Amino acid sequence: MTVAEVCAAVNGTVAVDVADAAATGVYVGDLLSDIMGHAGEDCALVTIQNHLNTIAVCTLVGCAVIVLCHNRPVPPDMAEAAAREGVAIVVTPLSQYAAARALSALPPAEH
Amino acid sequence: MTIADVVKILDGKLMAGDGTSPRAVGAVVANDLMSDVLLNDADDILLLTSLASDQAIRTAHIVGAMGVVVHNAKPLSETMLKVAADLGVPLVSSPLSKYDACVRLHDAFLAEERG
Amino acid sequence: MDNGYSPTILQGQHTNDDEILAKTPLDPKALGGDSSVIIMELLQRFKVRDVMKRQIISVARTASLREAQRLMRENRISGLPVCEEGRLYGIVSVNDIITALDNGWIEDTCEKHMACNLVVLEAGMPISFALRYFNNYTYGRFPVLDSDRKLVGILSQRDVMRALLYELSVEIRKLERKTSNNVPVHVTGEHYFRREWAVVRNDLSRAGHAANDIKGILRERKVARSIARRVAVAAYELEINICIHSHGGVLVLLISDETITITAKDRGPGIPDIEWACRDGTSTANDWIRSLGFGAGMGLSNSKRVADSFDIQSEVGKFTKVTCTFNLNPPDPADGRAVAPRPPSQEGGAS
Repeated sequence: MTVAEVCAAVNGTVAVDVADAAATGVYVGDLLSDIMGHAGEDCALVTIQNHLNTIAVCTLVGCAVIVLCHNRPVPPDMAEAAAREGVAIVVTPLSQYAAARALSALPPAEH
Repeated sequence: MTIADVVKILDGKLMAGDGTSPRAVGAVVANDLMSDVLLNDADDILLLTSLASDQAIRTAHIVGAMGVVVHNAKPLSETMLKVAADLGVPLVSSPLSKYDACVRLHDAFLAEERG
Repeated sequence: MDNGYSPTILQGQHTNDDEILAKTPLDPKALGGDSSVIIMELLQRFKVRDVMKRQIISVARTASLREAQRLMRENRISGLPVCEEGRLYGIVSVNDIITALDNGWIEDTCEKHMACNLVVLEAGMPISFALRYFNNYTYGRFPVLDSDRKLVGILSQRDVMRALLYELSVEIRKLERKTSNNVPVHVTGEHYFRREWAVVRNDLSRAGHAANDIKGILRERKVARSIARRVAVAAYELEINICIHSHGGVLVLLISDETITITAKDRGPGIPDIEWACRDGTSTANDWIRSLGFGAGMGLSNSKRVADSFDIQSEVGKFTKVTCTFNLNPPDPADGRAVAPRPPSQEGGAS
């Protein structure tokens, strides 16, 4: 799924756009250690962690799309790092559960 | 959907608390940040979390949650099980990721609606 | 009347309280261990005359020991002063009666067999002095004389105990009221409930137990569920705050007729910019705290959101004190000041 598809599914806005960023799976998590340990490569990360360190973790595990829930604001340092590392950020008013539901409705991901 | 149904749907195992409770899930909250869970006003929350600590149970108790599910088959400490038993919060361990659990629960709700 | 007969009366030569006080300094050990200041003050402030029994059952010197035995049995006492017109001549004890029965002199006069080597208390002595007497002598009671050396009362250990327990409960009630007055809210109701929990720095294994206790207390006291939840949320956030951001402190629950107050006070380090700290999403938390599910910067704003009134004071290097107050009787019970909807998003429902 593309950033645009993700954005439309969760009724969100694109805070950081990255051309070609896409995801084939979804991981829901707010603990960086947990994300690091369990998120698969090319996942869309559904989280509430609006923190610079989230970008670092995404870079490590290979997540190219972040879905930031509950309309959490994106701090400038996080946005800068995301753009630099090629991680797109979509901000949604939905909760993690609702965002997960919405993303599951997208066409099956190619694994 | 009771805690017993949740256990079944999420291929889970009840680790502590009353598995026969008739309370139904009022809302699903998938969150690892407890402050965020505390913000929630919904009743009879089912808390899906990766936070395998006492704090998940304590938070659930504060908001009057009907149960807690810990994902990825994370090992649960003795103290966490004890806190859950003491506070009477049903605690379920599931091998699923939080995302897969969200999707399964959602499908189950849809099925419930269709009767 | 007075035929020159007089018992030996042993007593201190104290003529006034100041003198007694000077001779009995407040030594906790003398009073049996580490007495609190309040108890010591009580023991000093209370005089024998405040506590003693004033109804004196006594016999004349010419009464028989059998008569003494009857009086003791009827009044369930184990010692009887031998006294005429206020003057104390001696004491007849149960032991004297037993000895008399054994030896067949129960019909003899009291005067013949009473103890006249007496230890007495003065009515103006502080209770601490009397306690020392009970400690030093094996007697269960002492006759009490006034300054004219007239018998005016009897003091038993039970009298002291009963008086102290009563006065202690009065003092403790005063203390409780005083402590509750330190909380900057009106405690208008007469009946209130107060409990305090120590919160230890960085002890996340215990953090939250106070909030859980509070929720249980509110449930027991049948506080409306929606209010109980808001109180517990504030308590939890503030408890976690003390635990992860401060050098340690206390969490206090105060329930009055009209309000519930949660006060969190810590011993520093204080907050330099309170406005910034209260804003959503601002946090000084490190990754360790985040890994435990906290540190999202919602603590203070969460507490503020759920409370009916919120107050924060802080001095850098000294303390932070947060007070959240909840109205138990909202003006319109229908809405009960329901928790403000979370801005700006909605939590997902079940379906």
